[in-house]
Amino acid sequence: MKKTTTITALIAGIAMAGAAQADKLDDIISSGKLRCAVVLDFPPMGSRDADNEPVGFDVDYCNDLAAALGVEAEIVETPFPERIPALVSGRVDVGVASTSDTLERAKTVGFSIPYFAFEMAVTANDEAGISSYEDMKGHTVGAVAGTYEAIALEKQIEEWGDGTFRPYQTQADVFLALSQGQLDATVSTSTVAMANVKTGNFPGISVVGKAPFDTDYVALFTNRNEYGLLNYLNLFVNQQIRSGRYDELYEKWVGGDVPSLMVPNAYR
Amino acid sequence: MFDTALSSSDLLFLAKGAGMTIIVTVISVTIGTVLGILFGVIRVQLGAVLSAPLTFFLDIFRSVPLLIQLVLANAFMGMVLRLQLSGFTVACMVLSLYTAAYCSEIVRGSIDAVPSTTRRAARSLGMSWAQDMRYIVMPLATRVALPSWIGLALGVMKDSALVYVVQVTELLKSTQILITRLQEPLFLLMICGAFYFLISFPLARFGGYLEKRWSND
Amino acid sequence: MFEYTFQWNQALARLPKILEGAVVTMEVALLSMLLGIAFAILLTLLRLSGSRPLHAIATTWIEIARNTPALFQIYMAHFGIASFGIHLSPFASLLIGITFNNAGYLAENFRGALKAIPDTQTRAGRSLGMSQLQAFRYIIVPQMLRISFLPMTNQMVWAVLMTSLGVTVGMNSDLYGVTQDLNALTFRTFELFAIAGVIFYVITKAITLSARLVATRLFRY
Repeated sequence: MKKTTTITALIAGIAMAGAAQADKLDDIISSGKLRCAVVLDFPPMGSRDADNEPVGFDVDYCNDLAAALGVEAEIVETPFPERIPALVSGRVDVGVASTSDTLERAKTVGFSIPYFAFEMAVTANDEAGISSYEDMKGHTVGAVAGTYEAIALEKQIEEWGDGTFRPYQTQADVFLALSQGQLDATVSTSTVAMANVKTGNFPGISVVGKAPFDTDYVALFTNRNEYGLLNYLNLFVNQQIRSGRYDELYEKWVGGDVPSLMVPNAYR
Repeated sequence: MFDTALSSSDLLFLAKGAGMTIIVTVISVTIGTVLGILFGVIRVQLGAVLSAPLTFFLDIFRSVPLLIQLVLANAFMGMVLRLQLSGFTVACMVLSLYTAAYCSEIVRGSIDAVPSTTRRAARSLGMSWAQDMRYIVMPLATRVALPSWIGLALGVMKDSALVYVVQVTELLKSTQILITRLQEPLFLLMICGAFYFLISFPLARFGGYLEKRWSND
Repeated sequence: MFEYTFQWNQALARLPKILEGAVVTMEVALLSMLLGIAFAILLTLLRLSGSRPLHAIATTWIEIARNTPALFQIYMAHFGIASFGIHLSPFASLLIGITFNNAGYLAENFRGALKAIPDTQTRAGRSLGMSQLQAFRYIIVPQMLRISFLPMTNQMVWAVLMTSLGVTVGMNSDLYGVTQDLNALTFRTFELFAIAGVIFYVITKAITLSARLVATRLFRY
């Protein structure tokens, strides 16, 4: 198997040196397969059903993208900290993984326009006596390592100078720790918080309020230099909204008011 | 505690993870052992000075956490060399070299354990180097090496729990996926631990038995 | 041939933070080693006690430590134990997980070392008026530690490498945890982990070298 890969790589190399360079968009179309990085412990965006098959908003979104490209979709499960390594190591083509489009990250990967927007919510263990964002001061709080909210929350704890911050590897571990009482509270996207509390899997926790973080716009991502693919992704996100598919998916997985993906008073 | 929502399809899912653990282990231990014997013999033949670069290279695999080796190999193969390798391939490559590093130490140690007088006697009986290796060193060194080798193979199986970082769903990762859905951490973890234990414990005992038996005569 | 542009200065700018992580890693490793030796001696005593239940407890500990993955043990020390309502910080969970592992392996080493110490020595001690425990404490333990010095060094290296598993229980102040946090911030995976790898290498080499220096002094006789 290894040998074939090397040979394929060699042939690909020769082909690339010869003819006009095929970019990633061409590669995806000619291979007939689109590999998406999706986080699968992040309901309703990504999770597993009773047969342990991937389902969720991001899974559907990837399937739509594959359908638009006329290829088959392959969902590659990637925990939050592994999203970018999976992309840069060529294991996946596109990330459909609720990834915040920060400037720091854009130095390494290329983001599309936002395809979803999260509000942040505080979820607390009922016994901790926390009923608002400020109440978290002095408590043990946690979030998923490497996410937008984790970075913001850790900074906040540092600013307060009181309390402890703990990052866990997966969203499930965070809620598990919260339910076990190892954490007093967590900040997560409100959609995820609602979905997790609703499952009834985690007794003794409830959503207690909003976190005053900026709206967390999340975007699709691929390699920084793949302009062809990035253009395609931008148009795809736009078309999803135009065609009403975005609203449809939102209703299916989340429900309620569809958040606007427009940034007020900005060009883009 | 044993009132569980675990279904038969979930058990099948766990079994798949266990299968992956075994496959990764068998491949890595096989390749790693072949490489380890090769490297070990080379190191003995060349002597400490000439084989220093090889020793240094192998030493890295024993001095850096496996988690970092996997992350780095993954990033290097994909980002820098642009090779489209599956996570499974990367996992097997890293674990093979990891095994080879430890195995070459075992091989070197057990070849050194064969008394040089015995080997000289073999050579003065007219045996070639190859014959000496084949008929004298191999049988004697294997006795010394086998118990440690069994320990190494089991160690690799346990360490293979870390290949989750390159998106290989092995036993521990499958367990974590089920914990996410079923929220029965203790019960599921105990099943997972029992599996490792049931494979590792008898083999480790067998290794201990061999060691005792062979050291007595 | 490389399409990837290395940005070492971005990663190197974070070196002070990474080094702070290295200090925590060494703390955890050292503590887990000291505790591990203490518990391993205790386990050895339990095994020698002649009491069946005590022997069974020690054997269970040792066999579980040696026959399940370290990652499993650490995960268990956090999420498993919490099922009983005991809450431990990531630091404590990691420390307990590694200590549990260390003690199991070291106890097994000590058992091998004990075989090399003739039984007559204990009897000699006893006839000098020492109690069983005194004989163990003053005659057996020092020799046991001396004979197991090399395996103990190896275990110390393992302890350092095992600290990298702390991320699974929410640890982010150790060398691996700090590196992973920085990676989430900047996505410079290769550069950051390469630096962490080099630091790990230096730490483990420092341990083996200083152990060798100590050994030459310790084993002069």
